[in-house]
Amino acid sequence: MNSKLKVARPTSFRSRGLRPLAHFTIPTWVLLAIVILIPFVYGIYISFLSINLASILPPEFIGFKNYATVLAASETWATFRITIAITIVGLALQIPLGIWLAIALHENLKGTKIFRSILITPMLLTPVAVGLTYRFMFDTDLGVINWVLGGFGIEKVNWLGSQTSALFAIILVDSWQSVPFVMLLSLAALTAISPSLYEAARVDGASNRQIFWRITLPLITPTLLVITMIKIMDFLKLFDTLFILTRGGPGNATTTLGLWTYKTGFIFLELSQAAALGVIIALITAPVYFLWRKASRGVR
Amino acid sequence: MSKGRFFKTAAIAAALALTVSACGSDSGSEEVSGEINLFLIPSPSSTSIQSFIPEFEAQTGVKVNVSETPYGEAHQKQLLSYNQKAGAYDVAQFDNTFLAPFCQAKVMAPLDSYIKNSGEYDINDFGPGQQDYGKCKGETLGLTLSTEPMIQWYRTDIYEELGLKPATTWDEYYDNAKKVQEAGNGGQIMGFGPNVSWWWMTLLWSFGGKLYDDNLNPTVNSKEAVAATDYLKKLLSVSPKGAITATGDDTTSKFLGENIGAMLNYSGYYGMALDTSINKNAGKIGTAPMPIGAVDITHLAGWNIGIPADAKNPTAAWKFLEFVLGKTNSVKYLESGAAAIGRKSIISNSDLVANNPYLPQLEIPTSSRIERYPQIAVWPEFEVAAIDAVTQVLTGKQRTQAALDALNEKLKPILAKEPR
Repeated sequence: MNSKLKVARPTSFRSRGLRPLAHFTIPTWVLLAIVILIPFVYGIYISFLSINLASILPPEFIGFKNYATVLAASETWATFRITIAITIVGLALQIPLGIWLAIALHENLKGTKIFRSILITPMLLTPVAVGLTYRFMFDTDLGVINWVLGGFGIEKVNWLGSQTSALFAIILVDSWQSVPFVMLLSLAALTAISPSLYEAARVDGASNRQIFWRITLPLITPTLLVITMIKIMDFLKLFDTLFILTRGGPGNATTTLGLWTYKTGFIFLELSQAAALGVIIALITAPVYFLWRKASRGVR
Repeated sequence: MSKGRFFKTAAIAAALALTVSACGSDSGSEEVSGEINLFLIPSPSSTSIQSFIPEFEAQTGVKVNVSETPYGEAHQKQLLSYNQKAGAYDVAQFDNTFLAPFCQAKVMAPLDSYIKNSGEYDINDFGPGQQDYGKCKGETLGLTLSTEPMIQWYRTDIYEELGLKPATTWDEYYDNAKKVQEAGNGGQIMGFGPNVSWWWMTLLWSFGGKLYDDNLNPTVNSKEAVAATDYLKKLLSVSPKGAITATGDDTTSKFLGENIGAMLNYSGYYGMALDTSINKNAGKIGTAPMPIGAVDITHLAGWNIGIPADAKNPTAAWKFLEFVLGKTNSVKYLESGAAAIGRKSIISNSDLVANNPYLPQLEIPTSSRIERYPQIAVWPEFEVAAIDAVTQVLTGKQRTQAALDALNEKLKPILAKEPR
């Protein structure tokens, strides 16, 4: 029995006689090293130097000084808080909405196919185009949103003019693009649940609410964890929509850690400090990545 | 040697001497060859420059290659290239705000010897203050590619209807805006959004304040700075609601597309006013000098263009600059759609003024102190901090004095990084 099992589970290349084939992956590894590993390692390296694009002085090794500088800057912490706020509120909005839409589509009601196609359209658009479109829509004087509100007698709202409303606008735009993604993955998870479980529950007299909380949610939880982790990573590197929509304003009120890194590197020309911020973001994202890996195994 | 032969030799020698002396007095006659690479930033000025390339190539035989990079990454790309001493560009366009970082990094070649020897460029055709627009630490690192003072724009129809005249003082400017607003229009507009620093520093200078003193100590919490910031906030109350987030472009679009009494903005935006697809109020736009405060200042902005220190073909590069920006083609340059260069010969050309009524505003009186973007390498960091503080005041999150006190403290370590 044991020997049979060993034969049945050939996991390594050698045991499956695939070792020669593995060499064919070398170009891919080389390419990945060039485009990912080397820039990443170089990024870490320059975070210990004193590179300023506008300086004629040759870069010097300055140890952890850049890390100390960026961690001592109030903007780093302020932008980190904004990033966390966007992440929490965004997740709280997008995950339930995505699940709700997935359940609605899973019912296979009339028009589901058309509705599904319409819903995934936002995913096909580039964030820059979406940002530009919404920037016009949110315009206080000419925007369609205030025009509609005006029809109901509501006074013009300065959507991008204060921190709260601007953050709300950013989350709304991101949700418009991201909810279909949550919906699609949730729908795939729902499809994988055996219908017999629902039938058995109904025979036992379970209500829709009980079915959701006792069967659906526990069974799609591993998928939801994966979605949550991916979305957290997305929020931590949120840039394009935000840049187009508010440029981090008013003032720095909607500047996230990613946007602050951009400003440090490309506006203030402090490349080494920006590299240090990049490493810090990578360190923040790393645990999320490992949780995602763990959650992914649950899905399999 | 026969008499005839002697005269022939003497004549040739004299001709040679004249040729050599002519070459010495005007670099324009120097032979050029090869190719040059232009680094341009998409703008009406860069489009105009490119329209001259075929003619220049035909005249000189020099091949001209163009690379355009959007504003957001243009200067960073240039600095990266210059730091690598790649010699990738022979001519480079840059914003005056980057003159100081370029100067500090010593990446642009001084143009003074070229200018001095060029009758075609004729620096004396510029007003005294404007001759220094591309200067840093006594050296000219960039020619003026556009002259864009901050000026007053107003709607002639609205002003006429309400019996108003363009303001000459800040009090008048506010009063005008108030009256226009009471008549059911937008009173005035300026960009209170991500570019608010443009207007804030203009007012600060005009109210008699300074951003920093001679020893680079910040002075943004002075009583003049507080008064200027309070005035800026007061203007917000007579502006359309959307002005709080408006950029420089938004400000112009709104002024040209809506009913707003006046606008304070750079003259370089006048190209948008000439575009009837943007300007819904064509024929109703007037311009006037900026109101005068405690001090008569002119906030002057605009593009520069120069020759990088690592350029491979600087002689041909100068020849090209001289060809495009020299006196001969100056009218053609403006007519090809570029933002105007404030040459005296252009400003005083009545035919040009008829089509570009803003041109007289480019003549800056000698009594007016010209203020450029602060010529410090840490300006971008300074500006972001200032925008954040001013926005706190405009959105009512902080009182003016408290916000400027905090800004002043914040600017100390930033300015300390500036090489003395």
